[in-house]
Amino acid sequence: MISKKGLILLFFFLFMGLFFPLSQGETRVMQSDKINLPATIDGWKLTKPPKMIDKTNIFDYMNGAGELYLSYHFDHLLVYEYKNKSDNDILVELYYMNDSKDAFGLLSLDWGGEAVELNQPQAEKPSESIVPRKRALYGKGLLRVWSDNLYIRIMAFRDTPGVKEVILQLGKIITADRRNPPPPEMLKAIQPFMDSPWTLKRDRTAYFYSYLVLNSLFYLSHENILYLDHSTEAVIATFEREIKSEKKPPVRLLVIKYPDHEKAVKALNNFFKFYLPDQNKEVKPDLKQENQGFFHIEDGWMGHRLINRGLALVFECPDQESAQEIINQALLNKFQKKGRRIQ
Amino acid sequence: MKDKKVVVTRRDFIRGTVGATLGFTLMGPEWLKGTFEERSRSSVVIVRDQKAMDKALNVDKKILEKMLEQVLIHVTGRSSMKEAWLSLVAPEDVIGLVPTPLMNPTHDELIEVVKNSLISAGIPAENIRNAQGRSVDLELITALISLPGLKAHWLTGIGTVIKNYILYSGAPRNYHYQDSTKLGEIWHLPQVKGKTRLILVDALHPVCDKGPQVDPRYRWAYNGLIAGTDPVAVDAVGLKIIQTKREELRGEPWPLSPPPICIEAADKVYKLGNSDLSNIDIQTIGWDQDLLI
Repeated sequence: MISKKGLILLFFFLFMGLFFPLSQGETRVMQSDKINLPATIDGWKLTKPPKMIDKTNIFDYMNGAGELYLSYHFDHLLVYEYKNKSDNDILVELYYMNDSKDAFGLLSLDWGGEAVELNQPQAEKPSESIVPRKRALYGKGLLRVWSDNLYIRIMAFRDTPGVKEVILQLGKIITADRRNPPPPEMLKAIQPFMDSPWTLKRDRTAYFYSYLVLNSLFYLSHENILYLDHSTEAVIATFEREIKSEKKPPVRLLVIKYPDHEKAVKALNNFFKFYLPDQNKEVKPDLKQENQGFFHIEDGWMGHRLINRGLALVFECPDQESAQEIINQALLNKFQKKGRRIQ
Repeated sequence: MKDKKVVVTRRDFIRGTVGATLGFTLMGPEWLKGTFEERSRSSVVIVRDQKAMDKALNVDKKILEKMLEQVLIHVTGRSSMKEAWLSLVAPEDVIGLVPTPLMNPTHDELIEVVKNSLISAGIPAENIRNAQGRSVDLELITALISLPGLKAHWLTGIGTVIKNYILYSGAPRNYHYQDSTKLGEIWHLPQVKGKTRLILVDALHPVCDKGPQVDPRYRWAYNGLIAGTDPVAVDAVGLKIIQTKREELRGEPWPLSPPPICIEAADKVYKLGNSDLSNIDIQTIGWDQDLLI
């Protein structure tokens, strides 16, 4: 039996389906495509219509770099080129990703550079976020921007006087009237303790889906031993501490959300098999129990914790207590019930 | 035993057992046995000139010509550029120049200077071709001059010398990730093997971070050319420069990630040359500030 409320909801979704047949991602992409870049800007001229790159020709355009964008749910790319009288070039690349969190992930791979304000508010209050409050970063002629589902790269081949202003103007034109969603919910899976001797380095936090990206941030194995793919989400964070004003080597915390408990268990067992073969460990699926362990290996202490479909791994800790303290900052119980909390 | 999957991990690198692991997985190819010469030591030449590029990164071709002359003379031990070229190639050779096309592409000026100097040495212009890409007919080419740009690479750690022939494989995606260890096998393809006469790395404006696309914050004016006849040794020297620059930028250890295992594999498995810097004699000529070696 369908209740009255249920019938109303059913009609609502049917109506939406009839009049807005595109998926959310596709709709956004169509809206974003309306960006009109100026034909000229401060003596720089748009040389030709934009080049359209999609999944079929991304490798022709950028060789192996295409793997990065595909791993972040790449839809398509528009490439514009400006030239000035001195034959200098500004390349404008607009990467249309499926979702805002994909574009965020691309920016999160490198928080370096000068934070610049375009038309965007700051991302979040610093105390509530494990990443810097930045949406646009500039350095030596390259502007990188996260703007909803759009990841923008604007680069001058020669960083000559005045070029920065032109690049920032272009950034403002592109980001005008665009939404500015918050960073991915997944980031809330790490909550640093305020009273910990370990300090989170916000500018080293990255969000991703692919083991290729993980390896470019923190090499684990050339094989995908943690079964990362488009069905998983991952965050890597770096913690440091000082002892008597001396910085100690950083510690990494990797948190992964799998689609279900079975896949999380399978990934952990595969990790044991290839990363800790000397431990002969295997975990059985068990939704009621968390599974945790710490091991002393060549580069210090590492630990794991599995709760439901969430897996946390900590690496390069100086002692077991530190490993425990860091892994406690991963709130895996947030993943416990699908349909609630972090999705 | 043969079917057992061996996976290289971070722990192998920390233990220093990558070579052993790679050897175990890749030493198999029968066709490699007895096909190489043992090398005792290798030689690599670095020539730099502070004025090779101006502040706007325009290349001074006259200076570049001088740098090329010096590098050739020191690599070959001959007394002039002409003699040097003719010790590496013959007028009847069909010469393929192999620049890097994407992400820190080889400077056009360097390609032009190399081409012009070959012509001046007596090589007919029609015998000098661009040999980069999948569609190149390598059967016609008798001598290759590799001209890669010095750069890190996000899938293979480094993407300079050993990786420069990746398109000859016809399937570049098969040589990324763990399979980047196999990049050395491309140098043993029948249409490639033994044809490389010189490796001349464009280190005018290298990239020390992996990208995947160029970020100007990780480029710097090294203003150098790095050359030799041992591709592994030249790659190893370039790697050292990149790694040193990374640590200088961050002020702390900042290892390339993923680690550039293709260089060690090119040495230990494919026997293409020396990857161990202690077996490489490095000659440096010209501007010596921030050599990073």
